[in-house]
Amino acid sequence: MTVSLRHRLTKYGLLGIVLASYAFLYLPIVHITLAAFSKNSNFPYPPIWSVASFFRLASNTVYQGALLNSLLIGVATGVLSTIIAMYAAIGVIRYAGRRALLFALFFSAPLFIAEILLGISTMALYFVLFDMSGNLVAAILANTVHCFSFAFLIVGAQLYRHDWRMGEAAFVLGAGPIRTFFEVTLPLVWPSLLGAFLVSFIMSFNNLDISFYVLGATPTLPSVAWGALRYGVKPELFALATAVNGVIALLMGLMFALMRTGMMKFGYRPERE
Amino acid sequence: MPLSYSSTALERQSMPGAMTTSPAKKPNVVTMAEQQWDAEKDRDGLNSYLTVSGVSKRYGNVWALRDVSLTIAKTDFIAILGPSGSGKSTLLRLIAGLDQPSAGGIAIDGSDVTKLPPHKRGVGMVFQDFLLFPHRTVRENLAFPLRMNGSSKDLIAERIDWVIGILSLEGLADRYPNQLSGGQQQRVALGRGLVAHPKLLLLDEPLANLDRELRQEMEVEIRRYQKRLQIPFIYVTHNQEEALSMSDRIAVIHNGRLETFAPRREVYDSPATPFVARFVGRSNKFTGIVDRQAACVRLDQLDCTAPLPPDSAFSDGETIDIFVKNERVRVERAGNGIACVVQDVIARGPFDEYILVTQSGLVILASLRKDQQTLSIGDQIVANWHDRDCHLFPSRPAS
Amino acid sequence: MQGHLLQRLFTGIPTLFLTLFFALPLGALVMVSFWRTENYHLIREWSLMNYHTLLVESAYSTFLIRSLVMAFAVSIFLVAISWPIAYFIVRSGGRYKLLLSLLFAVPFLSGEVLRLISLQGLLGPVGLVNGLMVELGGAPLRFIMYTNVATFIGLVYIYLPIVVTVIYLSIGNFDFRLVQVASIFGASPTRAFYEIVWPLNLSGTIIGFLLSFIPCLSASLAPRFLGGPDGTLYGMSMSQQFGESGTWALGAAMGVALFLLSLLLLIGCCLFVDLRRTGFTGMGRA
Repeated sequence: MTVSLRHRLTKYGLLGIVLASYAFLYLPIVHITLAAFSKNSNFPYPPIWSVASFFRLASNTVYQGALLNSLLIGVATGVLSTIIAMYAAIGVIRYAGRRALLFALFFSAPLFIAEILLGISTMALYFVLFDMSGNLVAAILANTVHCFSFAFLIVGAQLYRHDWRMGEAAFVLGAGPIRTFFEVTLPLVWPSLLGAFLVSFIMSFNNLDISFYVLGATPTLPSVAWGALRYGVKPELFALATAVNGVIALLMGLMFALMRTGMMKFGYRPERE
Repeated sequence: MPLSYSSTALERQSMPGAMTTSPAKKPNVVTMAEQQWDAEKDRDGLNSYLTVSGVSKRYGNVWALRDVSLTIAKTDFIAILGPSGSGKSTLLRLIAGLDQPSAGGIAIDGSDVTKLPPHKRGVGMVFQDFLLFPHRTVRENLAFPLRMNGSSKDLIAERIDWVIGILSLEGLADRYPNQLSGGQQQRVALGRGLVAHPKLLLLDEPLANLDRELRQEMEVEIRRYQKRLQIPFIYVTHNQEEALSMSDRIAVIHNGRLETFAPRREVYDSPATPFVARFVGRSNKFTGIVDRQAACVRLDQLDCTAPLPPDSAFSDGETIDIFVKNERVRVERAGNGIACVVQDVIARGPFDEYILVTQSGLVILASLRKDQQTLSIGDQIVANWHDRDCHLFPSRPAS
Repeated sequence: MQGHLLQRLFTGIPTLFLTLFFALPLGALVMVSFWRTENYHLIREWSLMNYHTLLVESAYSTFLIRSLVMAFAVSIFLVAISWPIAYFIVRSGGRYKLLLSLLFAVPFLSGEVLRLISLQGLLGPVGLVNGLMVELGGAPLRFIMYTNVATFIGLVYIYLPIVVTVIYLSIGNFDFRLVQVASIFGASPTRAFYEIVWPLNLSGTIIGFLLSFIPCLSASLAPRFLGGPDGTLYGMSMSQQFGESGTWALGAAMGVALFLLSLLLLIGCCLFVDLRRTGFTGMGRA
């Protein structure tokens, strides 16, 4: 039966491509994770287990300072992006009417502008016009512009599916707008807000292109890593990358657990199957 | 007045209305109906334009269809009637080729198409959700089937004009589907189904998403197109009014099995199975106990009997169901019959549905035309019906 | 009008924010591009000198053309490989669809630097691949490091997650019943793909393409660490203006040029793609 044979061949072919892509994406990560945990970091097969690089990493004060700065940037950007994205999403979906598409395009615009442009243009603004040197706040604001677009899409995607009539029902039953928001809307849409926060945090935490130009001398983890990369110091870098990946994996695991317990759907609609 | 068994009931003997055979023997009913049908039509091959033979379909552990067999002639308008989840849409998909049957075969115009992919079967289909191509204009949607089968540009233009004409789509040809109303979209979908002169047209609850007035208009239109085009229309619906008004024959499907496949009058007046009796039309259901000596059935809670056909296979003392259609219940001020009080009246357009309650508390529903009676709530009346309007079936647990 | 006020309030805040921190900086960039730098100081003299340099000195146009070619190759490749991946996940993923697509998206969150570090570990002269080759008795592969091929691989590595995610979202929202409809009306599976699946997902495809093309054009890290001496790309050169050479005005001019190019591309795509023909039925719900 050639029809089903063709189907099966196609399916296995596609599966092959998918598996190869996963391998391509994750092999480097696996490699450096092994390298981070071994003495023979350049070719850890088989690995000689040791956590020496992690200890060296932890005791390195430059990295410590950089970590703090990165965390600061991450949290601040996350919070700011999520809040502004929430306003944007509600505005576009509920109140923009005819100009909804226009606003949506404007809010998505930063996605299509190279990150590096954001960095250098912000630097141009501060340094040139205000004669200020780069600082943390500038980095936060610049990162927020970039992450805001992502956050806008994430929050917007869930709000689009939100049934606003529940809010109207709440009005009819006597709740004011703020009360309605906190008791009716927020409990339903918080997953996307959390997702937006996490994505913004992670992206700005790891960001180099934007932060680099606006920070001046303030070190962040990526910029220190970049510096070390230029000078070829490897093992600590591997440990650093592994640590960051570990945290990300944890956060993703958190999101996944939320999904499994049904709290977040991210658009999975089983009835469509 | 004891309700006696009249001679008209004997006419039904060839159709075993009192179904006492086990489920496995059900195809007998269908075969007999088919034989009658064949006897009436001429046999030049047009009879069996579409043949579904012993088709079953399983999804995992669930049987969506079990051993369904049908034969459809070229000029037939067939309705496949059944409740949601009965398997009727599955049957349609199998005929279209979107799924493969787990057992059995399908033949169109003499050739076996069971293993043929859908794009080679030459059928047309109309869907409940319209499913027009959103990125193409009406004209392009209509042209699609013809482009796929390689028709010439002239033929395409000609057929599109024809379809636009018969479906009154003038002026809409260059619009996109999201610029059309529901009724317009459905007409375009119908046009797309017909434009390539398919071997047969499958319609999957096409009017379910239209409002009532439009639906009634379209029912008449669809029937007209079928008569004009002389190809089989297979119309799936859960709405029996549609099925009864549009089709020549009705196939009733329940839990994946074919309950009956008969001309519409017969499906309505002489239901072959308890499910058909319950599902088609609005019926009262009474229970009664068989008394073979007296050749009758004593109805519970009612002081009356129904005649028992001599060839019925019910055993003495068995509890069976008796169905009487609401509109067959006659209501008189006085006379022979069951004494009832009118508890409520529901106006249903040309009919009034009377809720009658007997002395023992049993509820009887009677549908009467407005000009027939003017009863008020609280009236004491008498209800009766013809023997021939009783349909007897073995008692079944509610499914 | 209350509705109008609410509109102003809700859309106004993000608009204000973007104007201040997005539009204004870009404006500043444009301004700087008309000035010049001398001895690491910015001199506010208006002139077109920077643009003149860009047009005249062949190095910059070489960088630009090289970047365009590289970005185009990377993006086309990414779209070509993302389609089968996303298609497979949507059609055969079942209840793991989301997990499978997230597994693709997750590496994106590690940040460019770390991923380049990982990639170097893999491709580097003493990395996994070459180490393996050595172990097996062969010679290390020369061409995979410090060449344009390496840059290509690096860029693909960095942007694969985002393109897969975008195309996955597009295909995931596609109503596959339309394919069944097409097949009933005579379209073979190939024909149905070409007539129905591809056009209706074209906007997603184009967005995915742009989301990799535009950043690739300005890529600075990947070519720096993976590319060879002759692999300088535009973005890399631009970042150098702000780094080593301290010629900010020129860098700003390069930035403006890049911005205009991106804008041109976006507008071109918008004009070229008729939204109607890709099944876009508006922002409202169906």
